[in-house]
Amino acid sequence: MKILMLGWEYPPHIAGGLGTACEGLTRGLARLGIDVTFVVPRLHGGEDAGHMTLTDPYQGGRSWTELEYGDISWDEEHLQRLGIEAFLMPYWTEIEYKERLESVRHAASVLTGANVHVEPPPVAPSGRAHYGRDIFDEVARYARNTVARVAGLEFDVIHAHDWMTYPAGIALAELTGKPLVAHVHSLEYDRSGTHVNQRIHQVERAGLHRANAVIAVSHYTKSVIHREHGVPLDKIHAVHNGIYPARAIEQYRAGHPEAPQHKVVLFLGRITFQKGPDYFVRAAAKVVPHVPGVVFVMAGSGDMKGRMMELAETLGILEHFEFPGFLRGKEVEEMYNLADLYVMPSVSEPFGISALEAINFDVPTLISKQSGVAEVVGNSLKFDFWDVDRLADLMINGLIHEELRADMTAMAKLELKNVRWDASASKTLEVYSGILH
Amino acid sequence: MSSVCFYFQVHQPWRLRKFSYFDTSASLDYFDDAKNGEILRKVASKCYLPANRLMLELIEKHKGAFRIAYSISGTALDQFERYSPETLESFKRLAETGCVEFLGETYYHSLAAVYDEAEFRAQVRLHSDAIFRHFGKIPVVFRNTELIYNDAIGRMVSKLGYKAMVAEGADDILDWRSPNFVYSVPGADMSLLLKNYRLSDDIAFRFSNRGWEEFPLTADKFSKWVHAISGGGDTLNLFMDYETFGEHQWEETGVFEFMRHLPDEVLKHPHWDFKTPSEVVSTYPRVADMPFERLTSWADVDRDLTAWRGNAMQNKALDAIYALGAQVRALADPEITRTWRMLQTSDHFYYMCTKWFADGDVHAYFSPYESPYDAFVTYKNVMKDFRLAIERAAKSRIVPVLYVDSAPATGLAFSA
Repeated sequence: MKILMLGWEYPPHIAGGLGTACEGLTRGLARLGIDVTFVVPRLHGGEDAGHMTLTDPYQGGRSWTELEYGDISWDEEHLQRLGIEAFLMPYWTEIEYKERLESVRHAASVLTGANVHVEPPPVAPSGRAHYGRDIFDEVARYARNTVARVAGLEFDVIHAHDWMTYPAGIALAELTGKPLVAHVHSLEYDRSGTHVNQRIHQVERAGLHRANAVIAVSHYTKSVIHREHGVPLDKIHAVHNGIYPARAIEQYRAGHPEAPQHKVVLFLGRITFQKGPDYFVRAAAKVVPHVPGVVFVMAGSGDMKGRMMELAETLGILEHFEFPGFLRGKEVEEMYNLADLYVMPSVSEPFGISALEAINFDVPTLISKQSGVAEVVGNSLKFDFWDVDRLADLMINGLIHEELRADMTAMAKLELKNVRWDASASKTLEVYSGILH
Repeated sequence: MSSVCFYFQVHQPWRLRKFSYFDTSASLDYFDDAKNGEILRKVASKCYLPANRLMLELIEKHKGAFRIAYSISGTALDQFERYSPETLESFKRLAETGCVEFLGETYYHSLAAVYDEAEFRAQVRLHSDAIFRHFGKIPVVFRNTELIYNDAIGRMVSKLGYKAMVAEGADDILDWRSPNFVYSVPGADMSLLLKNYRLSDDIAFRFSNRGWEEFPLTADKFSKWVHAISGGGDTLNLFMDYETFGEHQWEETGVFEFMRHLPDEVLKHPHWDFKTPSEVVSTYPRVADMPFERLTSWADVDRDLTAWRGNAMQNKALDAIYALGAQVRALADPEITRTWRMLQTSDHFYYMCTKWFADGDVHAYFSPYESPYDAFVTYKNVMKDFRLAIERAAKSRIVPVLYVDSAPATGLAFSA
């Protein structure tokens, strides 16, 4: 079986958990003998992906305009109805819209080799786009270039990861007639709550409805997809993420006997609405009076970082906080090794793979019930993200009782043996088989 | 002759209410009255009341030939009084038949036998008093919490005047010997009755298991297994939770019908009868000493104490509660003593058990908590407040108490 996978990032060049998940899943599939070609927008060098063909649309040194489409069966009527370019545009003002309409028409006609009907995008004076305006250009470019890149390639299933790759997935499904699997690692709803970017929401919806099958990273996300997009439940398959067994972990703390004896509570992730950083800071303020010397580390970047520093200052606990910024590789490992507790207060977390990483590094976890990872980890303390008092209660108990930490980490580690990428890959294979027969 | 000896365990704990690190209670209000009442009334309607009706019916039908024993914890008796007086009344009617024996145990279904001998003696006395008060009988056979037993506990109980004790017929203890005889406690004039766990568990655990090769279990089939022991034993000790009837095994499984026909089938064989534990030990000779060098219980396949003190959290919580003994005794405050004891009930520590949690098998336990960690957090939060209450009480005393000889014998009495 040959799978064409459309992704947005691949380790080590990652901004979140998406790339890590794609690596785990493709390695698992490779062990099942599945042949995967994985297309990312751009290769950076240094990727370790010997288990599959990892490529970007520029491999081969030709630009997309030079490629020919002889092997793809064209269905112009379908394509004209697609309007792929249209839903890739951000909120525009009316002037911007007029200015760019021509270029879009041009791009669309090149993409399809035909005159494509372009749906007029909505006009909004001020949109709140999380990815900046350029993301839609990037997504459009990825779609065009990927369609060009894979011309002539043979595959049985198109597997697209998250909304950024759905336009490419839809186009290829229409062009080739191959079944499309839309994989949901995160929804616009998760990232933005009720303030969703309507364009992203529409792209997501188009992909999920066009897909022959949808994979959700949790039962939690399955239910959100059903609720937000009206996708029938029997079309959505919950496939949990996995994790690799812990590598040989350097004992950073043991190696630093002079390290301070204070307790460290770790928040590691994007400091954005979705991750619930404000609940973390507010709970911290309730912890400080009871646990002298506690340190809260908020590792990550994001649009709420500045506000969180201000909030900590306002609450008079800024001296208990550290904001080391976005961490990579060894820095992440070192941070996990310093942490006494890992807290994931996400408002809506489709999965939350970093909680599994924390467990891998022997850190006890406090995770919000609004997360997919709560479905696979029983040996954790769980709370509703909005319940600041409860979170503070759990943090204090976690910090003052080493027995609680010891039992949780030991048992969670055992439990992780059942949370493996091989299991995720097997379930994914079942989804492929289901749509091929 | 050989005898079938039934003993049913009846117990309900005082479950804690949600209690955060930031909560305080001036009135030692740590228990979830609504939930405890709800659970007790549910179990009463599904198990205690229909099962008691059935037992009464069987006793009357067989005119003294069907005889059974109960061990009812003090916390269960208190909950009957508070939430389901009709349940207590139905046990009293059973007591009046003269065919029912009540065993002694610790009032608060605690692990005091392992942690605090003075407290153990106090709770045993409290329970004996309560059984006399409710049923007009003084227990002479003892059942320790969860059948927790070793030689030391046997001798300790012997000193309290009991003539026999029940324990688990664990394989490694029995070795080649049969559980179907009366044994004695080494170094004490006390008999030991050992649970035949295979036949007990056929009813308590496997009865409704469709994957079991003997499913479905009928009274006729079970009695044939009983009769097959003839000549190979004096007593078949069938010990189990009373909640087997209607709660662990639902009524729909036919467990009540099984029990309804069992006495008829057993008594078809002229050499078999039913006896209560004290009757068994008066009738049959002690065949040998049965040393228990390790602590055993009737729990799990391990038959040890790891369900209550198998991890760091449980050990910390147990050490913490029993560390308060000296202070609580010195204060001799009835409310504080009663609360201390309610916090000793073994279930609190069982809820913190992580033994099979690695498999995500959350449902292996009847627990009011989301996880063992939640159970620990709630318990420790309560303990923190309780310690403060003890300190407050100690400070408010005008005359310091220098020495108190023994634990005050205060039972549980609600003002409501």
